[in-house]
Amino acid sequence: MSLSKNICGIGLLFLCSASALFGQSDTPILSGAVQFLGTSNAGAHFYQPVIVPVLAVPLGDHFFIESRAEIQGFIARDNGTTGPYSGQFIATFDYAQLDYIANSHLTISAGRFLTPFNIYNERYNAPWIRNLPDAAITFPIGTRTSGSSNGAMLRGVAVARKKFEVNYTAYFSALTTVENLGSGRAAGGRAGIFFPEKGFEIGASYQRFLQNGNSNASGFYAVWQPPSVPLDIRSEFANSPSGRGYWLESAYRFAKDRRNTSGIGRLQAVARMQQFFAGTPQAGDSLPTADTNRFDCGLNYYLPHEVRLTGSYGRQFSSLGNANIWNFQITYRFLFPAWPGGSR
Amino acid sequence: MKTRALTAAMIVLSACCLKGVAFPQNTASTQRATTGARSAAQQAKEGERRFQANCGRCHNAPESISPREAKAVLQHMRVRAMLSAEDEQLILKFLAP
Repeated sequence: MSLSKNICGIGLLFLCSASALFGQSDTPILSGAVQFLGTSNAGAHFYQPVIVPVLAVPLGDHFFIESRAEIQGFIARDNGTTGPYSGQFIATFDYAQLDYIANSHLTISAGRFLTPFNIYNERYNAPWIRNLPDAAITFPIGTRTSGSSNGAMLRGVAVARKKFEVNYTAYFSALTTVENLGSGRAAGGRAGIFFPEKGFEIGASYQRFLQNGNSNASGFYAVWQPPSVPLDIRSEFANSPSGRGYWLESAYRFAKDRRNTSGIGRLQAVARMQQFFAGTPQAGDSLPTADTNRFDCGLNYYLPHEVRLTGSYGRQFSSLGNANIWNFQITYRFLFPAWPGGSR
Repeated sequence: MKTRALTAAMIVLSACCLKGVAFPQNTASTQRATTGARSAAQQAKEGERRFQANCGRCHNAPESISPREAKAVLQHMRVRAMLSAEDEQLILKFLAP
């Protein structure tokens, strides 16, 4: 009797420990950013409060659910530069996907995911990551219709060596016209080679847009982050029937290394140049209808507690009219467990 | 009386034996702990290097991540940044040692 009690006690203790361990490691998190952006574009002022929550739910070691929404306000004068201010709010799902992490070489994702064309959409478009408030002019190329796809995607690292890694992504997306969950019918992929010791990556993308008469989009990208200097250089080229263009961005942190948290070490200077050559406009491509050149420069200041201040100035040259664009932005990044409990 | 003496002698002998065995065990466990700590520190350093090479290409390291949050963060990054399982484990040692 005593022995059976002991066995039962040990069993309960074991189950409790396993449960606590499982509960600890599989805690969902709520992350994301709250942002306020004020813009003056060619004399028109508008304000954009944004909340971007990210929910991440691990389900054991192989399954993972992740989702990002965007609740964005747009407050502007009714007549551009005159009239009273009025606002509207839009809520969209950027992604809501189930991932199956098969191994280091393959992850299968299903649901709604960010369209993996070049690198801006997947890597740099999140509000807490992008160095400049405005997206690149060529952003809509290869990401029609909404920047997100509804379907399935394969991704992973095909070859991993100490000196280089080959990564890939392939996807298919179905046409969806549901409001705020829209996507185009398309298929495509991206492949890149990354040299970790040099901090250099280069790659190419392709998309076949399978509606509105079918069309191809292609792109190339290069990223260089020298390990010994806090400098980021990023660049993309994209081509489609609607037009072609490129952007080149550099960001320098005033510090000896990237972890420096001194007063001046928290400051980052950013500059970006872009050129776009208009092609044949297509419905809903969101691209300029005339050749456009643009230069932007700005400063980011990384305050403690995940707060960032950004100020930028841009000058746009176009046959449709030149413009000065000023932005001021404050971003707070948050991260906490999705349900209460101790920190450990 | 004889039995008590024998018992006492056995206890003393057992204690001596235990002490003799215990000392090397303590030394071994101390060495293991030291090696483990050094190994954990090396893993954290390697994890930091891999964080900079992968995650750090797009964003800074978060100021703090609790162990409860770490797995979800790392799985998220594993999908986004195409990390290997080894990268994930080492970066975990760096972010939530």
